[in-house]
Parts: sequence; structure tokens; C-alpha cells
Amino acid sequence: MATVVTSNEQVREIEQLLYKEASFLDRPDLDRWIELYTEDGTYWMPAIPDQEDPHNHISLFYDDRVLMEVRRRNFVHPAAASKEYTVRASHIISNIQVQDSNAKSGACTVTSNFHCYLYYRDRQTPYAGTYTHELVREGDSYKIKSKRVDIINCDAALNTIIIYI
Amino acid sequence: MSYTEEQIADLVQPTKVHRKVYTDPEIFDLEMERIWAKSWIYIGHESQVPEKGNYITLNYGKVPVVMVRDGDNNVHVLHNRCGHKGAKLVDKPCGKIPAFRCCYHGWRYRLDGKLLGVPHMQGYEGTDFDKDDPQYSMQKMKSESYRGFVFATMNPDGPDVKTWLGGAADVMDNLCDRAPGGEVEAAGGVLRYEHECNWKMFIENLNDTMHPMIVHRAVVDSALDYIKTLPEDSARRDEAEIIPPFGASYEVFEETGITGFPFGHHYDGGKTSIHADYTLDPDYEAAMLKAYGKERMHDILSFNTHNTLYYPSLTIKSAVQNIRVVRPIAYNKTIIETWSFRLKGAPDSMLKRTLLYSRLINSNGSMVGPDDLTAYFRIQEGLQSQASDWIEMHRNFGRDEELGDRKVGKGTSDLDVRTQFSAWRQYMTEAA
Repeated sequence: MATVVTSNEQVREIEQLLYKEASFLDRPDLDRWIELYTEDGTYWMPAIPDQEDPHNHISLFYDDRVLMEVRRRNFVHPAAASKEYTVRASHIISNIQVQDSNAKSGACTVTSNFHCYLYYRDRQTPYAGTYTHELVREGDSYKIKSKRVDIINCDAALNTIIIYI
Repeated sequence: MSYTEEQIADLVQPTKVHRKVYTDPEIFDLEMERIWAKSWIYIGHESQVPEKGNYITLNYGKVPVVMVRDGDNNVHVLHNRCGHKGAKLVDKPCGKIPAFRCCYHGWRYRLDGKLLGVPHMQGYEGTDFDKDDPQYSMQKMKSESYRGFVFATMNPDGPDVKTWLGGAADVMDNLCDRAPGGEVEAAGGVLRYEHECNWKMFIENLNDTMHPMIVHRAVVDSALDYIKTLPEDSARRDEAEIIPPFGASYEVFEETGITGFPFGHHYDGGKTSIHADYTLDPDYEAAMLKAYGKERMHDILSFNTHNTLYYPSLTIKSAVQNIRVVRPIAYNKTIIETWSFRLKGAPDSMLKRTLLYSRLINSNGSMVGPDDLTAYFRIQEGLQSQASDWIEMHRNFGRDEELGDRKVGKGTSDLDVRTQFSAWRQYMTEAA
């Protein structure tokens, strides 16, 4: 079994990555956000709690690099009527826990709780839930191999979610 | 009521409708009584209640109902209301129970709604309360199933489901026939998407083929712009077959054709649609060939439609195997449910593609649907202006062809909108 971390230094590095990712989504700046992900990285928002996989059940989001690249372009496309409105977000991340860590490769699984206020079309919508990040080492730094976003109201009737949370 | 029957009839003219059909809460309430309580409304699919005691709950208009399977394998649609004080008997989206039991005083009901027992009965002795009086049971709605799709109505006098579906049943048949096993089942969960608009804006958009090249240009551009950066030998992606056709030209949509039916139903496509060029999965093709033979398989797969509306509540995509269900909440609020279906006997890859489609096109995080929704809420807000009271629907008026039970027009015709408003007018004025 993999050992759970680890040095204060490593925890600090992981925290900084999560905060950086959140700050790119706050603006939102998808050009810089996408660079935090590995080439095979994925972003997944399940539609039910404890959803087992993104392919045999519907999800709210499941983007791999291809769809991230399409979404990055779509988000700033002048003909996208839904994107004409100002989008701003504020993420708070806490309860960061390293669940699993490979001492050799440095790869780890990190869970955290988040609150996100999203301002879109003159209204502010709160989202809350749990992030699960799988991080891997690429050179000197961590990259995101997968991010799972479990919002606590994932199975409710929701409005448009205009951007990654 | 502040409208006379004549004024209601006048809200819909051959080539225009009055803005109040979208903006007036009083008209909305009347629609619930005269359209939604009189037409057949889609409740759910039998596969959602596979075994005895399985139930799903939903609202039929504003009325809470439950669809449940009893011990004799019959599927019932019951008012979800205790015969005693009126509490809803079950309040989860779905579940499994041996019998209904009220959370308040413990009244119990059989799965077909009949009152079974009342605690501490002696208090009723000598009164005229009769446990067997049907008024104290759960009330049954008139319901019928067509190939597993369950509809219910409050109208005791209307046509049966088959008559009501008419020629538009061809598309529901096609959806089921696309299964090598001849049946479909709901699979992979549901998306519930809140729309800030009148329910009619959603169903008018289904076969509005003049909007995709405008509304969906951004996502199509973005997809094509990225695709062209990829090496030519990149693996085929379903996304690259699903998204770009939403940017098809006027000429392409013109060719698809619109077909309208009595009771407000219509579909786009038939000979072709924006789903027609999907790669045929070889394992699926083999299963279909085995089940149907070459000729019949070809007939099934070449009948390719885009959206089909069963007015007012159900819209299906047979070539994609998903459906969207319309649940009106208020004159300016509607919930749209997206359900995906498994083709029985087909390889798992088919359901995966359906779920991919539902997510890419219909989910709350989609890059397609939100641009449609933007048009809807802008219409809802724009129609507060009294600059004009009328919204036009002239395109190809007078050029529809009558072919027996149906009217056929060019793909960009407003035939679809005229078809559903003709039904609207009929339902809304029949009650008078």
C-alpha cells in the first residue's frame, strides 16, 4: 500500500497548485488553466453522488483534452450568445487531505472541500462540494491528471453551469 | 377569467400568435387545465419500474403522481396523495416498497392504490366512514403504454394513445426497432435542466432549423478550429460526428423536411437528418443484421429523424436514443429532463454514444444547449415589450403538402410551429 505523505513541503506544493487552479477559474482564464493538466488529463462533474464512471452514466461535465481545447475556444468565441455575459467566480478551498501518495513517483490523490460563488447573468449562484485531484509529477512540478468535482446538489434540477467549477 | 373564449381563440392566427401565450400567468394556468390535463402526457418508461413495488414520482402539471408496478405486473399511474389528510405518500424520485404507507397516520395502500388498512379502526365504528369507499383509496389516472412508454391523462373522453400518436408513432417504433431485441430501456440516469422560459419556447426550437447555423456557430467553429490542429491520422472521435452537423447550412436543413400530424406532433428529417452520418458500429451492425436481415435493417437505419415532438410533453431522438421531457413549472419556468436509452441486444458502445450525446448537447455543462437557452430567456424578457403583440410564423405558409394524415413541408418551414399552435388552439377552445 502506498504511504500517505509526507513532508510539509510536499503538502505546501499541492496546496499551491490547487489554489493556482482555483485562481485561473476565478477569472476565468482557461488558456492558463488548461496548462495545469497533463495531456491525458480529465475534468469530470458527475450527475449523481458516488457515480462510478463517466461513460455508463450521464455526467454534467466530462472533458478530456479534446473537449477542454474546444471549450477553451468556445468560452471566448464572439458568436456564443451564452458567453456574452460576464462570468466571475470566487473559489475557497479547504479541508485538503492527501489520501494516497506514491513515495517513489510522487503521484498522489488529494481531496478537498470547496465553496464557489459563480456570478453570471446578473446573478450569483453558490456551488459547494468535494474535489478529488489526481496529481502526477512532470519534471519539477505537479500536473493534474484528473479532477473530479462532486457538487452536493448534483442530482437536483440545475440551471446552466457556464464554466468549470 | 379575464379572457372570453373568443379572445382565447384569437390569440392564435394562421400565421401569428399573440405574445400573451408566453407571458401571461393566467394563460399558463389555462394551458395546464385545457392542454396538459387533456392531452396524453409522458410519465415514464416501464423499464424504470422493472419489478413489483418499484416506483417513480413526478408532477403531472402541478399534480403529484407516482408510477408503480404491482404484483400482477401491471403498471399504474396514481395520484400521489393519501386518501386521509392528503399527504404525498412517497417523496423520493424513485424507490421500491412492499405497499404505500403514509408518513403521517400510517394509512396503508396496495400497489394498485386500494386502501388496505387504517390504524385503530374502532374510532370509526358507528360513523359513516367506509374504508372500502373508493374515495379513500389512491386515485388512479387513466394511463396507457406504447412500446414501454407510459402516458397518462385526466381526460376520460379522449382518443387512445395509438390513435393520438397517429403517424408520428413511426418514430417511436423506429427508436425501439433500432434495438436488435426490439425494445429499449431507460439507462444511465437523468439530467434535470431548469429553463427560464415558457415551455412552448423549448418545443418550438426543436425543429426550428433556421437557428442552428446562427446559435451553434460558436461551438461548431471551436470544434472545427481544434480539429484542424490535429494530425490527419488521429483516431476518430464521436464528438467530431456529433457537434459539427449543428452548423449545417440552410440547404442541408431544407432537405431534411418537416412532417406535421394531428394533435400537434411533428418531426424533422426522415430520409436524412443531422444524425445521418454517424459511423455505424460494426458490432451493432452485426447484431442488427442477425435480428432483422439485410433489407429490414436497412429500412430501420435509413429512417433518420432529428427531433420528434409528441405534443406537448415528450420529444425523442430515435437515431440518438435519447428523449427530453417537458415539465412546465410556471409561465416563465420549465424543467427539461434528458433520459438516455439502451437498445436491448446492442453492444454497450451504443449506450455510451447516447450518453455522450446527452452530455455534449443536452447537459447543463454543454456548449450547445446554453446558447439555445440564451435565446429562450431573451425572448421571455423581450416579449415584455409591447412594441408589437404578435410573433410571426409565415415561413413557407401555404406551401405545405397534405399527404393523408400528415402535412409535409421543407425543412426550414414554420410548419412545425403552425402544427403545434393549431393543436394549442383546438385544445384551448374545445373546453368552452
